[in-house]
Amino acid sequence: MLTSTGVPVKKRRLSPDRWAPYVFLSPYFILTAAFFLYPLFYAAILSLHYTNGPKHRQFVGLDNFRHILSDPDFYQAMKNTTVFAAASVFIQLPMSLGLAMLLNAKSDRLKGMFRLAIFAPNLVGQVFVGILFMMLFTPRYGLFNRLTQAIFGAGIDARWLGDPNLVMPAIVICSLWMYVGFNMIYFLAALQNIDASLVEAARIDGAGPIQVFWNVTRPAITPVATFVVVTSTIGSFNLYELPNTLLQGAGPNNSGLFAVTYLYGFFSAQDLGTAAAVGWVLAAVIFAISLLQIFISGVSRRDS
Amino acid sequence: MAFPFGNSALALLLTAVLSLAAMITLDGGAGTSQRPDLIIATFTKEHAAAYAPAIRAFEQEHGVRISLQVVDQRALQNRLQAAMQVGAQVPDMVELLTGSMGIFTSGPLSNVGFHDLTDRIAAEGLDQILVRNRFGLWSSRGRIFALPHDVHPVMLAYRRDIVERLGINVEELKTWADFERVGREISKDRDGDGVVEHYMIDLPSDGGDALRLLLLQRGVSLFDSKGEVAFDDPRAAQVVIWYVRQTVGPHRIAFPAGWGQNLAKAMMDGTCLFYICPDWRTKQFVNDVPAVAGKMALLPLPAWEPGGIRTSTWGGTGLAFPRQSRNFELAWKLAMRLYFDPDELGQRFADTNILPPVRTAWSRPEFSRTDSFFSGQPLGRLYIELADSVPDEPSHTYMNTAVAKLSEAFQNISLHYRQHGEKGLESFAAKELRRCADRVRIQVNRNVFLRQDPRRQS
Amino acid sequence: MNTLRWILLTVFLAAIPIWLISPRAGRAYLRLSVLLMVCSLMLLPFVWLICAAFKDKSVLNEYTFLPPVARWFPGDAGEPALLNLGNFRELFTPRPTLQGPVSFWRYLVNSLFLASASTVISLFFCSLAGYALAKYRFRGRSIIQTFMLASLMVPGVVFLIPNWEIIWRLGWMDSYLGLIVPGAVSVFGIFLFRQAMLDIPTELIEAGRIDGCSEFRIYLSLVVPLVRPMIGAFCLLTFLGHWNAFLGPNMYLQSQSKLTLPVVLNQYIGVYTQQYGVFLAGTLIAIIPPAILFLSLQREFIAGLQSGALKQ
Repeated sequence: MLTSTGVPVKKRRLSPDRWAPYVFLSPYFILTAAFFLYPLFYAAILSLHYTNGPKHRQFVGLDNFRHILSDPDFYQAMKNTTVFAAASVFIQLPMSLGLAMLLNAKSDRLKGMFRLAIFAPNLVGQVFVGILFMMLFTPRYGLFNRLTQAIFGAGIDARWLGDPNLVMPAIVICSLWMYVGFNMIYFLAALQNIDASLVEAARIDGAGPIQVFWNVTRPAITPVATFVVVTSTIGSFNLYELPNTLLQGAGPNNSGLFAVTYLYGFFSAQDLGTAAAVGWVLAAVIFAISLLQIFISGVSRRDS
Repeated sequence: MAFPFGNSALALLLTAVLSLAAMITLDGGAGTSQRPDLIIATFTKEHAAAYAPAIRAFEQEHGVRISLQVVDQRALQNRLQAAMQVGAQVPDMVELLTGSMGIFTSGPLSNVGFHDLTDRIAAEGLDQILVRNRFGLWSSRGRIFALPHDVHPVMLAYRRDIVERLGINVEELKTWADFERVGREISKDRDGDGVVEHYMIDLPSDGGDALRLLLLQRGVSLFDSKGEVAFDDPRAAQVVIWYVRQTVGPHRIAFPAGWGQNLAKAMMDGTCLFYICPDWRTKQFVNDVPAVAGKMALLPLPAWEPGGIRTSTWGGTGLAFPRQSRNFELAWKLAMRLYFDPDELGQRFADTNILPPVRTAWSRPEFSRTDSFFSGQPLGRLYIELADSVPDEPSHTYMNTAVAKLSEAFQNISLHYRQHGEKGLESFAAKELRRCADRVRIQVNRNVFLRQDPRRQS
Repeated sequence: MNTLRWILLTVFLAAIPIWLISPRAGRAYLRLSVLLMVCSLMLLPFVWLICAAFKDKSVLNEYTFLPPVARWFPGDAGEPALLNLGNFRELFTPRPTLQGPVSFWRYLVNSLFLASASTVISLFFCSLAGYALAKYRFRGRSIIQTFMLASLMVPGVVFLIPNWEIIWRLGWMDSYLGLIVPGAVSVFGIFLFRQAMLDIPTELIEAGRIDGCSEFRIYLSLVVPLVRPMIGAFCLLTFLGHWNAFLGPNMYLQSQSKLTLPVVLNQYIGVYTQQYGVFLAGTLIAIIPPAILFLSLQREFIAGLQSGALKQ
């Protein structure tokens, strides 16, 4: 209790207003009721209808769900989304961590400059990045194609956005450019919170760099890593603007079809019901994945 | 007292207040009272430029103000449908591109945001003077929602000089089988440097519009006139296989010349000899590739069977009238001026080479002129001869889905040919087209509003 | 361009002799060269963007970055300058719309308003709610917190469609209300402030009560100034999110004159006409406000994240 400091004070008013926290939270309550709980419930109702915009609807039972679950495009979208999420976790996370560790030297005048440069892509929105990279990936003339040609001697005519096998790598490259710096900042914050004397002590005890990393650094960054994994997963299930502008659609043979792009297709065809049903299916999938991730990170924490 | 949230938050607060003030000032400046009497939206600068003089004249004659706006097709389409739903401001007249009508007709007919023009067209006898097959693109369930702007018959444009030098007699290219036979002779590496000098024809390797127009010529449209998915017709498999053979593999006669600068280069070098050429493309060639002027000529498409039709159609524009339009009668009057006035159409044909569907205008002298770019051929007359055999291309709500699924089938068939050659090709093609058509049928059948189509119940 | 390969190779091979002389210096050298390389990769698209925005549209693909200096200015024989402001001029030319002619300034103002107003409003609501969770004991607190955490796992796409319909029914379509109100409180923001406020000594708050301050007064003048770094971090993240938002504005706004920068600039890349140069010029301008905010908030941003945003 706030008042349980045990110090007897003669005061005008010691105990807080009973209603204050509820008043302070009331905007949250109201908006959550209106734009979270109600839509969640309403989406469930909508998903049982076939609609033509908001004005016309007809009850169709579970038909929308049946359609989604038997649609090969849905599985293609889920596959792409999963691949992208995995790439975010297994490529982006180590890169962010590595950069953060490189930057985490004690005194470095250039640190601020490096940090700024690596974070800078984050200031640019997905729509801008999508179209910018569409230009950078132009066969023969694009900066990226010219760069790979100059460094590796290949790839000047690579059709990054036209070849079904290259579309996913292209999207991952874009997202690396955008988000590596962002996650690096999180890792950097965690690393800078590590007590330097702890590292010194471990060194004196004869621990090598790998042991120091495992015993000192790893526990400090675990919460950040969990956070990054969860947000990357949710982020890839919300990915829409980047692929949509980069590919101006779903890409050749649906190689750039993502969960939200799939949902949006129904929305633009006035089919709000199926779109809402897709939303519910996605929610169920993400909920399951998040529970699994939390469970795994919980187990690993108990282990250590 | 300092601002408790700090200077940055204070700066943001000030920004919000200042920008709100700026927005209010800007809104006050551009009062809604200045709204013109008619707003017409189109998606290309070319159309806007072609209409501008007629619109100026119309303004003076009727004492009205008309605003002509160029809006990107995709933005126009997405925003217009939503704006119609929520009752926001919409233009009074809109030019739409083929395929986009589908989005507007996915619900009950009563919910289509455009005026139903069917009765008006019949009452004014417009159906008598227009090319009949051009209404399909703008119809849903038998009702017409836009006026057709064009016919877009298709011919082949070719490098006459090279073709003559190689001794090809174009009169003998009567069927696609003839074309393929000659093409195989031509599309060879003649000087042994490892590069084929001339490919017979420019065809995109992903099928796309070229495949669709060849299917149309064969009598296969994505949807038939009853609104049923039709691209798994047995004739479709034959066309797709023919196309795959010409674009992939050892005997290919086609090369994808692409668009813009790449296309111009291919035409100048003679990388391809024949180019699929609807009327609208002739003007692009004239403007973009002046170097081949006088070296080009036009030829009707080879037929699929002896005596078969020798043209197809590619693309199209239609003029629709949103129901929210405040002044339909005035808009209709302007439409008659832009789309039906023979003087207007003659001049516009001279500017754009696009053949209007209005038969009564074709006697104008502009349609009989010879064209020096195409070796002195009478361009207008050539396309007019083909106009009445242009195949019908019925629009459908799921047109875009069908296009995507046809492309999926094509890509898989093409892949099969690359991996297994001719072995099992025909049965695979038929099966794959059937599978993709069925995916479209599932989409169509889920739409409860289309089931109310009276023609499907009977 | 082959020289690039040789430069890279030399830079890395140089690490070997340095390593042999002093492993410590070798490590520092390697670290520095890797960081420099990563930074140049990160900045390269910006360099290209700036060059391309000022390049004449006829030579967008002609030169990787800039044309040779001699062609920057108009030639003696009357050749046009290949570096010019043509893209910007085109961008700022007012265009006719259903709402009359609209210039780029209007979109800039729209975006500024939407992003800053949303940020300020949610800053207030989130910090207030975060304070309630951090410093009060009240019935239902743990249930509310659990509910909030669980709600974080529901993806935004579920709400896309129903919210669109709700906003349509509320008559907020084509108005900024539909974009500001639903996002005025975010659970993520509430938790950021809750974490930051947990560390505030309770004695301070009690001292305020003794002085007779109201609960709101305590929050505003005692608590808020202590979490300024978190305010910086929150403002930056929220502003960026709203400034660059595309999906919402694209779905809810209809009138051309109300659109925001991402939606409008996206229109320059159409099916039939792609005005890449104009788009790039607009993008360059669109980066400026968040860049200013970032540069002025950089220190608070880092400190805010360090102050325990992610301590569990």
